[in-house]
Amino acid sequence: MKKRWRKIKLLLVSVTLLLAGCWDQRELEERAYVIAIGLEKAGDKEEDKGQVKVTYLIANPEVGTQASGGASDEPPQETLTIPASDFINSRNIANVVIGKEISYDLLRTILVSEELARDQHFLRLIYNANKDREVKRSTQLIISKESASEYFKNNKPTLETRPHKFYELMLQRGIETGLIPNSEIRSFFRITEADASLFTAAYTSSEQKPDYENRDDEFIAGELPVSGEINKTQFIGSAVFKEGQMIGKLTGEETRLTGLLRLEQDVTDILTTLPDPGDGKYRISVRINKYKKNKVDMDLKSFPPKINVVVPMRIEVLSDPSLTNYGGSEKQRNKLRNFFTKKFEEKFNGLVQKSQDEFKGDLFGWSIYARKKFKTIKEYNDFNWMESFPKAEIDIKADISFGEFGRQPRVPKMYEVKD
Amino acid sequence: MESSNRKIGIREYMAIAFLTVGTKLSDDTPTLLVSETLTAGWIAALLTGIISIVPVLLMIKVLSVHKGKNFYEVLIFLFGKLIGNLIAMVLLLIAFSALIIDSAIYTDIIDTMYFTTTPAIVIYGVLMLVCTFGAKKGLEQIGSVAWLLLFYIKITLFIVLLYAWQGGRPSFIFPLWGGGKGQIIKAGITKVSLFADFLYFGMIAPLVTSFKSFKKGTWIALAVVTIELTAAVMAYTILLDYTTLRLINYPFHEAIRNINIGFLTNVEMLFFPFWLLATFIRFSFYLYIVTMLFGFIFKIKQFSYVLPVVATLVVFIGIAPEAPTFTIFQLRETLLTIVSPVYIGVPCLMWITSKIKGGTENEKKMEKN
Amino acid sequence: MFKKLKKIFVSNEKKQEEPNPNNSKEKELKESSIKRQVDANISLLKEIYNVPENLDVKFRNVTVGGSSQKCCLIFISTISNVPMLEDNVIKPLVNNKEQQKRVPHILTVSNIRYAADFKTALLEINRGNAILIADGEDTAFIIESANFKSRGIEQVQNEVIVKGPKEAFTESAGTNISLLRKRLKNENMVVESVKISERSGNEVAMLYVKNLANEQLIGKVRNRLQSLSADAIQNLPLLEQYLEDRKISLFPTILYTERPDRAASFIEDGHIVLVMDNSPDSLIMPATFWSFFHTPEEHYLRFPFGNFTRALRITALFISIFASAIYVAITNYHSEMIPADLLLAIASTRERVPFPIIVEILMMEMAFELIREAGLRVPSPIGPTIGIVGALILGQAAVEANIISPVVIIVVALGGLTSFAVSDISLNFTVRLTRFLFILASGAFGIYGMTAFFIVGIFYMVSISSFGVPYLSPMSPKYKSSNDTIFRRLLENEKFRPGYLKPKDIKKKGNEA
Repeated sequence: MKKRWRKIKLLLVSVTLLLAGCWDQRELEERAYVIAIGLEKAGDKEEDKGQVKVTYLIANPEVGTQASGGASDEPPQETLTIPASDFINSRNIANVVIGKEISYDLLRTILVSEELARDQHFLRLIYNANKDREVKRSTQLIISKESASEYFKNNKPTLETRPHKFYELMLQRGIETGLIPNSEIRSFFRITEADASLFTAAYTSSEQKPDYENRDDEFIAGELPVSGEINKTQFIGSAVFKEGQMIGKLTGEETRLTGLLRLEQDVTDILTTLPDPGDGKYRISVRINKYKKNKVDMDLKSFPPKINVVVPMRIEVLSDPSLTNYGGSEKQRNKLRNFFTKKFEEKFNGLVQKSQDEFKGDLFGWSIYARKKFKTIKEYNDFNWMESFPKAEIDIKADISFGEFGRQPRVPKMYEVKD
Repeated sequence: MESSNRKIGIREYMAIAFLTVGTKLSDDTPTLLVSETLTAGWIAALLTGIISIVPVLLMIKVLSVHKGKNFYEVLIFLFGKLIGNLIAMVLLLIAFSALIIDSAIYTDIIDTMYFTTTPAIVIYGVLMLVCTFGAKKGLEQIGSVAWLLLFYIKITLFIVLLYAWQGGRPSFIFPLWGGGKGQIIKAGITKVSLFADFLYFGMIAPLVTSFKSFKKGTWIALAVVTIELTAAVMAYTILLDYTTLRLINYPFHEAIRNINIGFLTNVEMLFFPFWLLATFIRFSFYLYIVTMLFGFIFKIKQFSYVLPVVATLVVFIGIAPEAPTFTIFQLRETLLTIVSPVYIGVPCLMWITSKIKGGTENEKKMEKN
Repeated sequence: MFKKLKKIFVSNEKKQEEPNPNNSKEKELKESSIKRQVDANISLLKEIYNVPENLDVKFRNVTVGGSSQKCCLIFISTISNVPMLEDNVIKPLVNNKEQQKRVPHILTVSNIRYAADFKTALLEINRGNAILIADGEDTAFIIESANFKSRGIEQVQNEVIVKGPKEAFTESAGTNISLLRKRLKNENMVVESVKISERSGNEVAMLYVKNLANEQLIGKVRNRLQSLSADAIQNLPLLEQYLEDRKISLFPTILYTERPDRAASFIEDGHIVLVMDNSPDSLIMPATFWSFFHTPEEHYLRFPFGNFTRALRITALFISIFASAIYVAITNYHSEMIPADLLLAIASTRERVPFPIIVEILMMEMAFELIREAGLRVPSPIGPTIGIVGALILGQAAVEANIISPVVIIVVALGGLTSFAVSDISLNFTVRLTRFLFILASGAFGIYGMTAFFIVGIFYMVSISSFGVPYLSPMSPKYKSSNDTIFRRLLENEKFRPGYLKPKDIKKKGNEA
């Protein structure tokens, strides 16, 4: 009798649990997957101060699958823009026009218009990302030149029809080539909370205003003249944030230099050109590889503080337009090395100058090295890296070694060919 | 549970110790350690382990004189019925509130980090239901399960810590002394009760195959758990930096959200089940200990019948506080601070009493042997 | 349901207890001792056996040559060796010339036993032996002439292995014991016979090595066998259910095998093996979880190959139990885990499927189990065709009709197929049933529910014991043993008999060199 009671009780408990469960349960197909969120200012009026316009880029799961019955004439993505006070409550507002529940499961990108990023309320807004469970800390924060809704409207990738693929590949490749920084939202929060360095976010634009004066990677998004039938969106350069607010921009080249000066080794594949010391008309193509960490020495006791940095680089010379055959002799190599060293040091020191004077902060995250010099957090906070850095005397040395000299190391003498 | 007279081996005992104390690195303990010491949280963790040597040593000393008796029986023997029971009551109260607060925290972790819309009471209910089942099976079974799963739980923990080390920046642990040496010592002393579980292991001392195993197991467990906790706090600091670390409550869960393994971007659900397994085993053991102590104090031989009542009580008290993330966090900090002197004091007191009272008797015993 | 069944059982028992006039008379007859007059005995036996109607019970009257003593040979012709009786009993009796010789001295059979009462005599006749009663003798002579028809030794059907012996047990206990004796040529191996049922007189043979198996264990098994009170227990699978501790538990606690080599190796380790007539198999006890998980092939294969098989099987076990449940949990609760492309692909295939994922999975699992069960029952010539129709056509059509999404078919088929890697039939059922429980648990609480259910299962498993042996030993609780659990060791390193059996000799001496 007692045993039967126990069985019945057990059955009751399990049945209630089964029936009562399923609170967090959601069916996959009943959700709309947001690939990217765009944020922009709602307007300049006083009552719009706390408001933003939220743009959702929603993927259509039926495009690009082989499942039978999928309608292939549907567009691969869908965008909608709504006014809201933040991007948490906008999820429900969006349901006014969308039947499915908005899901941030596939959210990998938060796009912010430059105008909003420069606003002082931006930090308050973006902090919501920290509260929401579904927003991943590895989400990339990118800054667009134009408004976010405009950007999504213009951006219609042709080959990567599935939008998440486009952003994933664009950002991943951009980070590898160093033309945009790795701007995960967790580093944004960390750097802002630590209040010692500057944060850089990837910069992008879907509008083209070609700037033919520049060459190579001295562009920022929107300036590179691209023609052909390709989507015109560009990812190059970075936006600089100080204390959670955007204060400036860096070109592609500066972004790469920043990448080389930083501790992280995200940059793996830099192909660029440098002037040919043999003949000023030409430029040499090189591949730059930072094979080990920078050596950073600091003397913070003195005033102004002194910082010495050595950047080790391995350079592979891939072209030889003046046909000098640099790899051939010790003398030529040294000549090239000295030239490159001078060139790099010029550029590095120029960038540091810009960081100190224009941004009044540390672009390179060197505060981490500085922390070792202190015993307690209090001492470190009293030193105030953010304030001290612009006053520091900084010297940067490039330590260049050569790798290979292209697939075919030797080139014919110019006059031989001409004969 | 009374029917099984078999004792648990050193493996099972160590597994229980690893899981009950070791799992603390995955709740809000690291945040408690870091909140004042900042980057030096790991030194504070190490310090708590080192300070713990004193009470654990004294407890083992006292128990070794009274082999075959458990902690409660020794208490009664040393202090007499009245005072002994009074001290035992205090210990029971501490254990019971620790059980409530800790289980409420774990419920809160599951609720805020993984199952946001499920009502907390349901999660709590399931947690306690499973733990009651486990505790009802008895110590031997808890030990066996702990030992069977220990390897897998620790492997996943190791992977998490490894990824945290690799994904973070080692320089984040500088400045070395963080919030200052004073703060470190303060944190080390007030939070020493993190290891108060070891006091309760005294309750099961006679149930371990031999006293030698108990002694050996306790020391190994204390060492390993201290190293584990230290490494974990270090890893969190390295991954998240102290600025973020002191703002979040559950760094372990934050850390596993930050891990990417190859093409898998959200792997927290790979680690979550193992953490859950440890949680279930931990609270099964706590429930067992609390009811065991209860049974001894109130002379209930079949104490397993009390289990469901205790579990229900835990759920209803644990669910009561509003905004659990903050309330319970503070409650736990307060509890830890209050328990610390008890944790250090009780073994000292026992040892001194044992020296005074039992000195002559023991000498006689020694002579006999 | 249970209640009704119980009632039926109880009422049956009651009926038996009522005295039946017919029965009691017969009982009296059986109790009586054999008389000196042959004719009286014959008429009595004829009455018991209902002779004119009962066709195969033969009464052969013989008059002994020389002494003219009247004898009668009684046997059941269908289960006796009739030519042997003719040659060794009837012929010598008839051809006898000497007057003084007593009947037993005339017979040329290898073994003669004596029965003083009818009860014993009847039992022997029923066992296929012949009874010879003679005038002036107050005992019956039992001549061993049993010859039950049974299959020859055939190949193993269910526990198929590639490398190693292929012999299987047959339905004859004698043959089975001989198969075991062939492997264990040891004077210490005891074949103990225990009678387990009253009416049908079933007997079971208990085999163990006297100086290895633990005395207490032997006593425990013997007691359990003797205390059974059933009218008939035809064969071992039925006996297995009588012997188990936890009869409604999902986990088997007695190992069932049709391989003599496997049974022999367990006897060598100090286990007890039961063999019985009518059962082409044997029962091994006590059994741990690992014995269900293993197959003998892993020891026949070389060390790396054997362990590779083990690794495959443990993987298969986990996939089989968890695949569907994990799919339900992840898609319903933790979709952020799925890589973006896969998530979109699943979402797109589910767009037109009308059922929730858990219903879809349960439907497909049921379908798979049905196809499996039906496939087992269909006559073998059309079996494969049904399988193909079931699996391919049904699956394909279900997908095209938007009833099932293709991913579900992959998941369920994977889980179903991997379950075949678990070769033990009982454990196989355990796996298949727990899978459904896990699906329900994950449907209710996602990974949380699954983990909660898993730990409950583990707690339950460590609390089970088979004849006092913890289910998961020697892993936990730890015992001295060869540590043959998930992976096996080198044969030289498997030095110990399992300690949980408390064998009289724990060390395997052969490996000492």
